[in-house]
Amino acid sequence: MATFENISITEDARLLLEKTRRDGVETVWQRHDAQQPQCGYCETGLSCRICIMGPCRIDPFGEGPQRGVCGADADIIVARNLCRMIAAGAASHSDHGRDLVEVLAAVAAGKAPGYRIRDEQKLKSVAAEYGVETDGKDTLAIAAEVADAMMEDYGMRRKSLTLLSRAPEKRRQLWEKIGVTPRGIDRETSEMMHRTHMGVDNGWQSLLLQGLRNALSDGWGGSMIATEVSDILFGVPSPKATTVNVGVLREDQVNIVVHGHNPVVSEMILKACESPDLLALAREKGAAGINLAGVCCTGNELLMRHGIPMAGNHLMTELVLSTGAVEMMLVDYQCIMPSLGTIAGCYHTRMISTSDKARFPGMEHREFHPDNAEKMAAELVREAVENFTRRKQVYIPVQPVNAVGGFSVEAIVGALGGTPEPLLDAIKAGKIRGAVGIVGCNNPKIKHDYGHVTLSRRLIENDILVVDTGCVSVATAKAGLKVPEAIEMAGPGLKEVCGALGIPPVLHLGSCVDNVRILVLASALADALGVDISDLPLAGAAPEWYSEKAATIGTYFVASGVYTVLGPMPPVTGSANVVGLLTEGLNDVVGATFAVEPDPEKAAMLIRRHIEGKRKALGLSSVEV
Amino acid sequence: MKQVVVHPERCVGCMQCMVACAVAHSRSGQLYTALAERPRPRPRVHVGAGLYNEGFPNRCRHCDPAPCLLACLAGAIFRDAHTGTVLIDPDKCINCASCAMACPYGVIRFHEDPVAPPGKTVAVKCDNCDQRVAQGLAPACTEACKSGALTYEEMDEAMRRKTAEVARSVSTGAETAAVPPALALLMAVKKAELSL
Repeated sequence: MATFENISITEDARLLLEKTRRDGVETVWQRHDAQQPQCGYCETGLSCRICIMGPCRIDPFGEGPQRGVCGADADIIVARNLCRMIAAGAASHSDHGRDLVEVLAAVAAGKAPGYRIRDEQKLKSVAAEYGVETDGKDTLAIAAEVADAMMEDYGMRRKSLTLLSRAPEKRRQLWEKIGVTPRGIDRETSEMMHRTHMGVDNGWQSLLLQGLRNALSDGWGGSMIATEVSDILFGVPSPKATTVNVGVLREDQVNIVVHGHNPVVSEMILKACESPDLLALAREKGAAGINLAGVCCTGNELLMRHGIPMAGNHLMTELVLSTGAVEMMLVDYQCIMPSLGTIAGCYHTRMISTSDKARFPGMEHREFHPDNAEKMAAELVREAVENFTRRKQVYIPVQPVNAVGGFSVEAIVGALGGTPEPLLDAIKAGKIRGAVGIVGCNNPKIKHDYGHVTLSRRLIENDILVVDTGCVSVATAKAGLKVPEAIEMAGPGLKEVCGALGIPPVLHLGSCVDNVRILVLASALADALGVDISDLPLAGAAPEWYSEKAATIGTYFVASGVYTVLGPMPPVTGSANVVGLLTEGLNDVVGATFAVEPDPEKAAMLIRRHIEGKRKALGLSSVEV
Repeated sequence: MKQVVVHPERCVGCMQCMVACAVAHSRSGQLYTALAERPRPRPRVHVGAGLYNEGFPNRCRHCDPAPCLLACLAGAIFRDAHTGTVLIDPDKCINCASCAMACPYGVIRFHEDPVAPPGKTVAVKCDNCDQRVAQGLAPACTEACKSGALTYEEMDEAMRRKTAEVARSVSTGAETAAVPPALALLMAVKKAELSL
């Protein structure tokens, strides 16, 4: 086991890790150590568990078996495995989107008390994109038709997804030409699973092309719908001041933490936390108030729209519980470690699972549905308040750090004065060299937050605007990069532009489904210049990714024309052909590739070189990197 | 005579040798039924993690002279005169751990075993799969290993092969990779991750 300094760059993680050792609490890092060495067949993508003529593995040394029982070689096996990762990631985001569409439909039907249409403007603009007539109709009728039209996007009636219309014309033509235009959200995932069944698609190239289409069905489909409907139901985010790190937990208040991804649950909890009755009960129990904090992406959703503080990101979720200060943690789905129930059992924390599709050991299951969510939230917050008196020793070792979040595309364009022109002008003038979306998770394989923070720092120092989402956004906020004063850490050009606009050099765009905001912004820039996304001085990065969802995000970035640098290696090195296609060949197909570089210092160089190359091709000033 | 030969640079850390070893030393000799046996069969080869989390299959070297054999006051450890394999007689073992203290490789474990008297904890280690070999089979770990980290071959042949590999690698201008690109790339990334 590495020292705490080698595990995380953050003070709160280090101090709480020490506490977990004292308390005898096992964490993700110990379990990662216990798993070493990890299976080399699986790490290289050379093991196949798809059918039960197998399981099979290919010997990377070339002397043992070179084909599975069915005859699949390394290329086929690696491609099938990667494609199934993409399918799982697309399914996860898109199912999250589906839950939101169901709430929208329930609101329209008057069957979701507590939920409402918070942003009619957004509803109408999305309705227009879906071809839903809005004139003379009341809001709920429009909502019903939009929800219905979105459900069609999930099915098999369409030739292409509705929101692809947001992509630049050139990009859409390219997708059409290479046959990766996504038709239906569920259809592409379903077809991906079909093609990877034994005896279906055994062309590693055609498999990977369907992988691109499947990822696009998430990025321009399921995830995009998730973000748009969240904006309609809960409001389009605008810049909000907030605070981050474990110090946001309050010693004198009832602490409730929401964890997971879908704002459907967390928004109702927030509402209940503001109830005067429950606040009075909290005071009666000796607490100064009710403090709601987030971890993971559902926290980001609340931060974006309400400035709710964030206690931590993925690898902090266990450590947050070890403060002993959390009365209740409510989870929905995705990225919730099944270890949490056990850890909570060491303290007084009550763990509540809320989704009919996600259960966890050591958690109490209290299901949220659109029709009971408001009531259930009030009940649970009451129980959390009552749990305050059971609290024992509390350890909150740090002071929170200030940050600003809430940069939707609408908010960014608003800050620019209503058009992306000023940003383009700054890029053309070379004050801003380009922009990079840093996204994704934490992974115990990479020193916690080191990849995110180091890469962000290097990029802004070199006048590259950073937009981030998900677990990255918490890391950079904790490092102090998300306040307007952080321009002091930026290069002179970026400092000047952000300074004039009063915005930080690292902008928080939201949760992991909100990566689609990056696609929308990139499309707006491309359209304004009359070029394709792949012509722009942009890049993506996932320095500490771990999940299937991140694999899908990276893939839809690349398929949309954004060069993307991954930190950890995906399980593909077993096939030189697949590696070659992902890191070089895709350039000729979609105008962008993947790169893998765990060291963020070197990743920054790769990205700067790429951005300067794109500037040069556009006829803009460029420098040698 | 064939022996188990370890080629550490080829270990991919899959631990399939451990599973195969435990099954080979179970009562039933079958994976699915072995999982239900009590005492639960355990492996005698142990995969450890190197500095860069690369695998290493650690097994008894059947040393000669064997420190464990010399340290065994109960006389439970002996060498098979025919095969040279160092074996432990579970009936004589007194579970004193002197052998483990003497073993430089840490490959002796103490637990109940299907071949030991019921309820008795004894010293257990690799027996070179002497029963399988007597039936004309290869030791279970070498049969399970698909990457060639554990082979069952004539020591002379293994030496000749290694000598040839080394000779070729020092040839002027030769660029023979020690490991194939699939693993070299992966190892490079893993080293980079760990150096952060």
